[in-house]
Amino acid sequence: MPTITIDGKSLEVAKGTTLLEAAQQLGVYIPRYCYHPKLSIAGNCRMCLVEVEKAPKLMTACSTEAFEGMVVHTASDRVKAARRDVLEYLLINHPLDCPICDQAGECGLQDYYMDYSLAKSRFSQADKVRRQKRRAVGPQLVLDNERCILCTRCVRFCSEVTKTSELCVVERGDHSFIDLKEGKALDNDYTLNIADICPVGAFTSRDFRFKQRVWFLKKTPTVCLGCATGCLIEAHHNENTIYRLVPRPNAETNTWLCDPGRLTYKAVQAGDRLVKGVIKNGLIDLEPALREAAARIDEARAAVAVLGSPWLSVEDNAALALLAKDALKTGNYCFDFNTEQGIKDGILINKDPAPNTNGVKLVKAAHGGLSLEELSRRITSGQVKVVLAEARAAGFIKDALKAAAPRLIAFASNRGEIPAGSYATLPYASYFEVPGTFLNYQGLRRRTAPSVEAPEGVKPLWAVINKLAAYSGTSLRLDSADEALKGVRS
Amino acid sequence: MPFKFTEEFRARAEKICARYPRRDAALIPLLLEMQKEKGYIAEEGLDALALFLQIPYSRVKGVATFYTMFNHEPVGKYHLQVCRNISCHMAGSESLLGRLRGRLGIAEGETTRDGLFTLSAVECLGACGAAPVMQVNEKYFENLDEAKLDALLEELKHGRLPH
Amino acid sequence: MENILLKDNVAEIEAYFAAGGYKPLKKALGLKPAEVIDEVKKSNLRGRGGAGFPCGLKWSFIPRDLEGPRYLVCNADEGEPGTFKDRELMLRNPHALLEGMAIAGYAIGAGHGYIYIRGEFAAETGVLDKAIAAARAKGFIGKNILGSGFNFEIFTHRGAGAYICGEETALLESLEGFTGQPRLKPPFPAIKGLFGSPTVINNVETLAAVPSIIEKGGDWYAAIGSGKSAGTKLFCVSGPVSRPGVYELPLGAPLRDLLEKNCGGMKPGRKLKAVIPGGSSTPVLTAEEAKAVKLDYESLAAAGSMLGSGAVIVIDESQCMVKLLQVLARFYHHESCGQCTPCREGCGWIEKLLNRFEEGRASRGDIDTLYSVADGMLGRTICPLADAMAMPVMSFVKKFRGEFEAHADGKICKGVRS
Repeated sequence: MPTITIDGKSLEVAKGTTLLEAAQQLGVYIPRYCYHPKLSIAGNCRMCLVEVEKAPKLMTACSTEAFEGMVVHTASDRVKAARRDVLEYLLINHPLDCPICDQAGECGLQDYYMDYSLAKSRFSQADKVRRQKRRAVGPQLVLDNERCILCTRCVRFCSEVTKTSELCVVERGDHSFIDLKEGKALDNDYTLNIADICPVGAFTSRDFRFKQRVWFLKKTPTVCLGCATGCLIEAHHNENTIYRLVPRPNAETNTWLCDPGRLTYKAVQAGDRLVKGVIKNGLIDLEPALREAAARIDEARAAVAVLGSPWLSVEDNAALALLAKDALKTGNYCFDFNTEQGIKDGILINKDPAPNTNGVKLVKAAHGGLSLEELSRRITSGQVKVVLAEARAAGFIKDALKAAAPRLIAFASNRGEIPAGSYATLPYASYFEVPGTFLNYQGLRRRTAPSVEAPEGVKPLWAVINKLAAYSGTSLRLDSADEALKGVRS
Repeated sequence: MPFKFTEEFRARAEKICARYPRRDAALIPLLLEMQKEKGYIAEEGLDALALFLQIPYSRVKGVATFYTMFNHEPVGKYHLQVCRNISCHMAGSESLLGRLRGRLGIAEGETTRDGLFTLSAVECLGACGAAPVMQVNEKYFENLDEAKLDALLEELKHGRLPH
Repeated sequence: MENILLKDNVAEIEAYFAAGGYKPLKKALGLKPAEVIDEVKKSNLRGRGGAGFPCGLKWSFIPRDLEGPRYLVCNADEGEPGTFKDRELMLRNPHALLEGMAIAGYAIGAGHGYIYIRGEFAAETGVLDKAIAAARAKGFIGKNILGSGFNFEIFTHRGAGAYICGEETALLESLEGFTGQPRLKPPFPAIKGLFGSPTVINNVETLAAVPSIIEKGGDWYAAIGSGKSAGTKLFCVSGPVSRPGVYELPLGAPLRDLLEKNCGGMKPGRKLKAVIPGGSSTPVLTAEEAKAVKLDYESLAAAGSMLGSGAVIVIDESQCMVKLLQVLARFYHHESCGQCTPCREGCGWIEKLLNRFEEGRASRGDIDTLYSVADGMLGRTICPLADAMAMPVMSFVKKFRGEFEAHADGKICKGVRS
């Protein structure tokens, strides 16, 4: 355990700790472009040079291991001069097109330029190396080689993380550039991470391009519900619109975020977002839709079946359980989901596409219920007249629904989710709009946080259930999501 | 006629791979072998090599474009490569280049219409004591002057690469 | 004194053998590897590729007790402008190199040696391949060499046009089939080199000196030359002298003697203006400095330059220093691997600045910019290529500033000395 001194402060670090990591432990930030904690060390940008006493040359903090007794200076005049020079070298061939660059506001060149400020450019416009400007390089990304500083984070990401090796540096020297095979798309499942880790505006997201200046974005920490992995994310939004999702790196689950997960926010503001009820195929206002559904439930009572959903929060599943047990007093309910879980691509994407299979188990433990097979059997036998189910979960009993054709009352956020043959569909608020508790495949409890407001009149699902109960002649008296959790182990 | 990964080539390539504990170390020697066939390395050659060595295409592409001896389009029967680094420069390589441009009617990087000559200016060839130097294909011609250059061009035009 | 390296009529194995060749190998195989290393340490032989690192010490860094393969690599990627000694040595005395490699391989416990030779040297590769075949046929390389139980194979490996591969870790990358981009150090090649195994990389000239050291002893070699600069060195002289070429001299010989005695002085009508003493990346010396300096590591360092590869580039008064620096800058710009920011961007910037001087677009302020761009590259990159660009720039500007000013003032200097 070597002890070293950084900017006058001593600390003991584990063997093998680099100077950059050690500085980080002390809260000393060392600027960097090529370094990324989850990629191999390249040491090429030379931005992290620091002064180590007794070493003749400045050393790269990213690659130099701490040794006993090292005395390190990260802000000496020599270090500052080196950083200023590196920045100047980086900028001489940079197009300086910040006004039309999406990276502006979160750009390593801009940020450090302010920190180590330079005088006017000593490099005349005419002498710049020109490279290829923007071109689409896959479904999600645009590449602007002229903005690239050749830190090779993107190349290393594709060879080390996705192991797809689409990218390479071609040519050499200041004419080298990032490229991929002609005619081939950069289309692995994780390409948007490249836009994140690109320290400049060379790789930008096609989805996010020109949508919003980053300094207008508000950031809400939340959870990705794209699959059972349950990655921690940040939703970036402004004026009630989400613009992008980015990973919130954490030791437990994720450094990165997959492209499908990144795009899950789209459903929230999609054209087919349900803000009204649907009876058969016709849109009607929410209140009459609720009353119609309640009337059908009231009619059937003990012949109603309720199905939980691994796509819903623990709270909303618990509310469904209460509806069945306390309000309808039916035994026909099921919270039995056992989809196989585990990372299927070696990176993040889970075998289980639903985010809360584990959370539903808590509800099952508290309230019991039928197995999926038994519920299906009862539906198929014709004894169930009305089925309440979240749209995607209805897929678990689709054969039974087809065979017996009971009235299906579905809960859905988007029109595209509505199962064929639904009698009624009731909209509910997305988990980008309301909080909800989820248990990922590791059993880690994670809560979503609202980033935007639900469309007018669209309520959280527990509140929809509460109303259904009231309109069908009973009452759950739920005033909050948490109240539904009575008896559920937290 | 693009490069074909023939059985004969495959056998030769396997022999080269056997020199190394990891077969992908043979990448550069194999690119050189490939270039011997047609004078340049075609795109499908890169694909074939990636497959043969079981490495990503991106690595083959990166290597093939990093090293300057690899041609990516056809070159003439005689590739005239004039050194223009410091010792050759002092010995008059610029005027040799100028003479070649005039005699052949092409600029550096170009090939004569008859496909006989490609002209290139290259960096130090490592024969500075015999400056100025020109490499024709793989052969060095040293201590050149205008008369020697003219005589050499005549030989080459008749299809004779002097020893 | 008699040449150790450059000999005539020993290119063929029979002649080499008749002159006593491969006896040192036999002698070495009778010693313990550590004893071979000690002998080389005693000789004070230093790396002849340019850096001058003590050869025996380098060999001793190879861990002795580690399982797994070790490699010997011969750096024959001769590419530093002005340098053509290894080529001459390989053509004239290839077996000295092979024998030196076999001895080095034995000393460090390597089973394989690779000669990484620049791609342009096709004929030289052919000579080496032929020599390797001949040595293998005689049992000097291959399995159970001379009945000692030591196995050692040698292969040639051609590069494909990249000066940077002369840097030893870029060379290893290239030898493994990657782009020639230098590696971060540590780990050093002695611990983690070729294919991740302990590796020694020596220059052709260094290895070719080894058989004589084993034959006649380290003390004998150490006594040649001057002080810490032991032995003989190949000097390759180019430029307007009467007899340019490769000369073998004891280290410490006066540069003046090399130019006047060996090279026959300047060509008629040419007057000495400057000398780049150790290859294009070493700082330039003025004529006065050149006339006073001795050719050894310490003397040249004291004169503010370096012995480097021993490539002596002679410049006469007819040459424009700005133009020559532009030629060099074009080269380094062309050869920068592009990995480190200061080198990738700085080399190009310097060339473009010099283009402005040459095209009459420069101002006097550009002289300081030129100098500070070079200064900003110095010592801040993974490998010394940035330094190799910066050092000539800084020395040219310092010593021949008047010529740069003349360009900036709109006069084309045409060899006007400042």
